[in-house]
Amino acid sequence: MTRLNTALLSAVALLSAAGVAHAQAGLNDLEIAHAAYTADVIDIEYAKIALAKTKNPEVRSFAELMIRDHTAVNEGATALLAKLNVEPQDNAFSQALVSGATAKKAELDALNGAAFDRAYAANELAYHRLVNKTVGETWIPTVQNPEVKAFLTQALVTFRVHEDHAGHMVGALNGAAKN
Amino acid sequence: MLRRSLLALVVAAGPQAPPLRAEVPAPRTHRVEIQGFAFVPSRLEVRAGDVVEWTNRDLAPHTATDDDGTWGTKAVKHGASSRIVATAPGLVAYHCAFHPRMTGAIVVTP
Repeated sequence: MTRLNTALLSAVALLSAAGVAHAQAGLNDLEIAHAAYTADVIDIEYAKIALAKTKNPEVRSFAELMIRDHTAVNEGATALLAKLNVEPQDNAFSQALVSGATAKKAELDALNGAAFDRAYAANELAYHRLVNKTVGETWIPTVQNPEVKAFLTQALVTFRVHEDHAGHMVGALNGAAKN
Repeated sequence: MLRRSLLALVVAAGPQAPPLRAEVPAPRTHRVEIQGFAFVPSRLEVRAGDVVEWTNRDLAPHTATDDDGTWGTKAVKHGASSRIVATAPGLVAYHCAFHPRMTGAIVVTP
């Protein structure tokens, strides 16, 4: 499963729904919590790279939004886990997320200017598509604890707004590139 | 037509709100829930002197910010509230500064 997950994360835009569902099968609640938290942290790290590199105000604003919103979601997750008195469990999917992100961050670090902006925006769109599909189609239906399920459902509302926003950012940057 | 300065931002959120204008009798507090990245209700009718209180039910922080930029709440975190006092008649359009597609309107009557 690890090999499948690694491949999945290194080519998120090419994922099929079936592939995501298969890769996510079998995670327990605490593993899902860990993977969700990890996914948030990764997007915050992408945003920090963007803030260090971009001069585009829209990209900057989006990156600031990602840091603000994903930090808030993870604060909520931490509070919920504390309330439930449980610890999230590291797992192969979380590790694959980190591995995939390491490669993507290296790729982004090598870019500058408009090329960076387009790559960051495209990755944000693909990443949110992947995570949202995973949360919506696999984690929420399978998670057992009702409070964790409710939390993921609420978090997904935020992530879908981000996906939509990222889509508009990609469109704006591609439009600018054609002009 | 939108008018500026129709609402005065109350500096402190929640119960620390300062007294309302003395000439407005029996002001009411109108509550707006922020949930699912929307202001609910999205349109509110209040009288001058009334209080509008936003409570954020989303995980992400939000604001209520006048489209003209004349007033705005601070970031309202999950479960927190922030208030303004309506001070003059007119129509005020507002949005979330972090998520500008979230919009609302307040009609202030004398």
